[in-house]
Amino acid sequence: MAICVAIIGKDNSPKYFACSNPDDEINLQYKVLSSLDVIEEKLNTANKVTDFRELFLGTLYSLESHKIYGYVTNTKIKFIIVVDSTNTALRDNEIRSMFRKIHSIYADNICNPFHIPGEPITSKSFHDKATSIMFGTV
Amino acid sequence: MRSSVSYILSSSTTEPNMSHPDYEQYSHDHAALLILIRHIGSQLKPKTYNKFYDRISKLSTVKITDSSGQVRNIYVRYVKEYPVENNDWGDFQTHRRLLGLISIGKYDSQLELNEICRVHESLKVKYTSTLYDSRCILLKPNEVQSPGETSADESNKSSPDSDVIKDDDSSPYDSSSGDNLKSSSSTDDRSSVEKSAEDARKEKVEKLLEKLREEKTPDSKFTTPSNFKSRALFYAETEACDDLEQQLTEYVNSLFWVLESKRLEKSREKLERVSLLLAPFEKKDFVGLDMESRNNKKRCTGRVTKHLGDLCLQAGLLPESLTYYSNAAEILKSVNDWLWLGAAYEGLCAASALILYPNIQRTLPLHRNASLQEGSPKRTSISTTTNPDLTNPKKDVLNILTPEDIPKRYREAIIHYSKYQNAGIIETEASFKAARISVDQNYSLQAASFLQNVVFINITLSEQEKTQRFEMLSDLYTQIGFARKAAFCHRLAASRYVSAQNPTPNWSQCYNLMLQSFPGHKLSLDPTEMCTSPHQMGWPSLQIHLLTELVVAAKRMGHSALATRHQTFMLQTMWDHLTPTDQKELAIQLQSLSAQCEGAPVPLVLDNGVVIPPANLSNIPVCSGFTLKNLQPHLQPRKIQMAKQDIGPFLFTPINFGSLERKSNKPQSKMDFLWVENDLCEVTLKLVNPLPFELKVSNMRLLTAGVVFESIPETVILPSETPTSLTLNGTPKESGELELLGYSTHTLGVKSNCRLRFMKNFLPHYSIEVIPSLPVMEVKTSLPQSATFSTFQNFENVVTSASISLYNGESTECIITLTNTSQVAIEMLEVSIQSILEPNLQEQIFSWDAEEIQKQLPIVPNSSATINVRLYSAANFLASGFSGPELSSGVFGSSHAGSISLSMSAGPSSLPSRLNSPISHQSTMGGSFHSRRNDLNSSFRSSNSGQSSMTTQGCRSPGVLALPQHAASSVVEGQLQFRYSGGTGLLAGYCRSCSVFITLEMMPSLQVTNWDVLPAETSSQFYLVLDIANLTSQEMELHYTSSKHMLIEGHESCRIPVPVDRCPLSKLTKLYMENGIDERLDLDKICSDHIANLVDLRWQLSAIDTNGKATLKGITLTPNMLDIVRMSPLNWDVSINGDAVKPQEALSCEAGDCLEVSVKIGNSLEKALRHLSMSVQFYQDHQNGVCNYRLENRLATTGLSRVLVPTLEPQTSAEHNCNVLFFTPGQYKMDIQVAAPECVSATASISGHVWRFIPPVEINVSL
Repeated sequence: MAICVAIIGKDNSPKYFACSNPDDEINLQYKVLSSLDVIEEKLNTANKVTDFRELFLGTLYSLESHKIYGYVTNTKIKFIIVVDSTNTALRDNEIRSMFRKIHSIYADNICNPFHIPGEPITSKSFHDKATSIMFGTV
Repeated sequence: MRSSVSYILSSSTTEPNMSHPDYEQYSHDHAALLILIRHIGSQLKPKTYNKFYDRISKLSTVKITDSSGQVRNIYVRYVKEYPVENNDWGDFQTHRRLLGLISIGKYDSQLELNEICRVHESLKVKYTSTLYDSRCILLKPNEVQSPGETSADESNKSSPDSDVIKDDDSSPYDSSSGDNLKSSSSTDDRSSVEKSAEDARKEKVEKLLEKLREEKTPDSKFTTPSNFKSRALFYAETEACDDLEQQLTEYVNSLFWVLESKRLEKSREKLERVSLLLAPFEKKDFVGLDMESRNNKKRCTGRVTKHLGDLCLQAGLLPESLTYYSNAAEILKSVNDWLWLGAAYEGLCAASALILYPNIQRTLPLHRNASLQEGSPKRTSISTTTNPDLTNPKKDVLNILTPEDIPKRYREAIIHYSKYQNAGIIETEASFKAARISVDQNYSLQAASFLQNVVFINITLSEQEKTQRFEMLSDLYTQIGFARKAAFCHRLAASRYVSAQNPTPNWSQCYNLMLQSFPGHKLSLDPTEMCTSPHQMGWPSLQIHLLTELVVAAKRMGHSALATRHQTFMLQTMWDHLTPTDQKELAIQLQSLSAQCEGAPVPLVLDNGVVIPPANLSNIPVCSGFTLKNLQPHLQPRKIQMAKQDIGPFLFTPINFGSLERKSNKPQSKMDFLWVENDLCEVTLKLVNPLPFELKVSNMRLLTAGVVFESIPETVILPSETPTSLTLNGTPKESGELELLGYSTHTLGVKSNCRLRFMKNFLPHYSIEVIPSLPVMEVKTSLPQSATFSTFQNFENVVTSASISLYNGESTECIITLTNTSQVAIEMLEVSIQSILEPNLQEQIFSWDAEEIQKQLPIVPNSSATINVRLYSAANFLASGFSGPELSSGVFGSSHAGSISLSMSAGPSSLPSRLNSPISHQSTMGGSFHSRRNDLNSSFRSSNSGQSSMTTQGCRSPGVLALPQHAASSVVEGQLQFRYSGGTGLLAGYCRSCSVFITLEMMPSLQVTNWDVLPAETSSQFYLVLDIANLTSQEMELHYTSSKHMLIEGHESCRIPVPVDRCPLSKLTKLYMENGIDERLDLDKICSDHIANLVDLRWQLSAIDTNGKATLKGITLTPNMLDIVRMSPLNWDVSINGDAVKPQEALSCEAGDCLEVSVKIGNSLEKALRHLSMSVQFYQDHQNGVCNYRLENRLATTGLSRVLVPTLEPQTSAEHNCNVLFFTPGQYKMDIQVAAPECVSATASISGHVWRFIPPVEINVSL
């Protein structure tokens, strides 16, 4: 189970943010925001060499309490998952599959003709799907 | 990165710990000699101290030639403070040893000098275990110094000193002697000072004298105490201290030689016999261990080797140190001495880095508070910091690490360190050093991971050190371009300053750090920047959180102005991201904050120089409209002379040019109307209060640029969510271009300047031309105002109105008072009338004396002028009406529509020929009316005899005369327009225009329903017989000549004869002389004017005391009438039987009598008449419209009845005689006529005309 799922637009503005504990949201937002630095750095340096099909960036930060994973689509939309660092059940592969699921629901949401590109995602069904992915119930 | 076996190798006991991390270390510092620069004594100002420190720290490397002739590059590191505990780690890493001490003090008196010396000595004692040498910079008092001489003296003296010392130093310095020196001095130091404090005064003079004698004393007046064993450098505070660098170099030299001697000493030691070097916390670990074991031997050797590496590194022997380090690493690895292995690796890295990147420099004075370098770009790559030419050969050095290996080794070292709890600080420092190397290598991720590691290191630190750690982290994150992470650290540091654990919360530090975290969160303190740049997409929820924290920090800091400012900023910039409840709460919060300190739109400057730009609340209230208002129409300035508008050859084109149209659709910032200096001008705002409670906005003014503008403050209370429009007034005080930039508000306790430039959907500014001042005039009339006015052009100009009802022909005066209410005199005034009437008629109805007006100019301020406007109810009193277009149906039509047909057919015989339009009318009704007319005429004629009576009293025949059916009143409207100007506005060519709307109701008074002319008794006059109808309901007294008058009942009519002089020939001669084409019309006109001028009909309504005058202007005459009206050009002289015939006189004769008729005609024209034929004819008038001309058997004539006069010269006469004999009795008439032949005469005007002798001669023939 992840603690937090965030989607960040290509201009690094937040598009979607969900976390398991709403009280902790601000702190998580700070952490997610600061992990964007690593993503940018990774994109700057690594992109030229690495396979474009590999969207998973791996661990961005491993903090005392959390581990932050990143995933970047080819359109520079960033997905971030925060996991409790004590949670050893989730391995890279699980994280990867979570990211893929998020990517697919994100793509579905974008396909909605009523979605305005660049606007924060407010769709309720998306939120439901995203939280279920976060809680690992899907 | 951290070893999972953390702390296993270290004991948990609290050992002498290095508790003061030095976060600013670079790996290069491994090679540096550490020198402490201390500020001592109270006299020295911190500024001076800092100046000295900065100057000294510039000397960071010294090149020294060693005994073998090799040049050594010696690095020096200066610190301001150094904890003694850190000194204890000197065995572990020699660069931690404090080798030198420079103290700086200033003294004014001997006492102070003694004190400074004492402190210096005690400092020496403090670091005695490691100190090699010390210097004391003493600043002399300024006033006692005689400039020039002493300074020169001093420099001269000090330089030989240094020479001497250099000589001394060339041999290895005996450090123990130095130590001895210090220890001895330190013991009696205190006592001596105490003693000196006791009897300083007594001894001072003695000492002074004593020292003065000594040549070596550097100062002439003050001397250092005898127990002061250090080298003192005397300077005056103001002088340049030219030799300071030289002195320092010499000092570093001395340190180097001590170090070099120690290194040599160490290297000569037998590796097998060395004692075990220990890190401070290790001391207990080795108690009771077998020191002679092979393992331990190796450990000792390894550690010493590493130690030698350190010394070599410091002494500038890099290749040697690399060799030592790698050897040490080999040895230590084999004995699992992790701590020292880590140190060896670190040394290896440091030495390699020093070779590879010798140019890495500490960024000089780190003013971290003012460090807004967050935005500065990443460090440039290595290639710029190091010279590739130099690095390449150096790579050949044995054991050197490749650039890629340095971070790897560092990582290993850190992992090894992490196994020891007590090495936490070493580990932290190593992490920082590694990160710095990575930064320089441009491996951002690597640097980040090193930095990330720092956070994990669990060491007991003071709060301040924790904060420093975060600050340093954020600094380094900034360097690698991790702005967000840096901001994160800044915020953590900020929260550390005020955390609950912190015994001394420092809110201002917290505030400053918070501010520094702003750029990382894409927050700019300038609200305009935040609003205008859409690319600054920060995370709103975080930004709001940060701002809230910042407001709290500012408030706790006690800077309520700042708190207000930030709260305002948050409301302004984050409005869209706040929930309605938040909006409300924040607004209320702002209100309470601003109660302490009002927000004002001025930049705030913090103590550290940060400028907080003003935050303006432009969305509370929201402005949705900003419109400049033109002046009221009657105040609008107009050009006195309208420039001719060039509208091109086409008045209208149906072609729309797309490009032009687009241009015109764009809102213009330049107004196309004008404002006037000193006139109240208006701007309308549409405001919406977005807050759920009532909002009071006070002191709203306009923000302008350009000419001076005085804005009048407004206060408005805005209900929630209801658009309210508000008018802001102001007065321009100068003429020129005025720019309106926005408006200012004062709401929620915050003053804001809302500039349109920064608001959405507005032009950046509006500009308007202000013209020089113009006078203002107030207009009043003596007449009551009209209730309504009809729509009219330029209706907006109207300032007042006047209405009056007048009977036709009545006139009255309207007094218009013009008052100058401005401060400018009215120097120009033009009056004009505008109406839809024809100019002629308009002039009749409205008239005034233009000269009289001009005489009253100028109208000075607060005085007034009057204009008398004469209003005359001009109407057509003739029933036929003016012909069509002159008075259209709007004015007169309604009243005459019904009567037209009547008057037309009932009118004189001349009418049908003239008004030929309603012929159909005539044809349909002709029959009945014709007979009636004939009746009328016949009655006239029949009563000819009784004309004398008629002329005296008139006659009433209401039954016969027809009254017009619809006698409705008509309304004439006109605008009296004033154009006025004065003062500078007049010079600029502007004026104002206002107008008075005048409504004139014209009520019918009397009407001439019918008219005819009759010959009078004298040939010089004729009678104009008028049927006059009184259309009023009152009794009317009508004066139709000077002496005659009559009364007409309301709605009655009567017939009056008016004697009128015939139209004299003099008026007509012109006609006869020239070949006018419209001669008939001209003749008509002349005659009708003649009548109109002579006939003076005055009426009076005695009941309502009004009187008026009716004119017969436009009366139309038939040719027959014309003949009566005008004088005949022929003089008639008719005599019968020698007696002249008198008009109206009947002749009597008997049947059979022969009458001799003699007709003499004279030409009274001024030209000859030709081919006239004169005829005499008799007829019998049956008095029923039938005349019998066939009288052959009733009478006989002798002589010619018709003669031809070929030429009648002017003033000549022609005579013709004939005789007549009546056979039967009866009444006969004789018609004498002179005819001008058609087409024979050259003068067309007379051609075909027949003149008659009027009246025909009547002859009564009796038996």
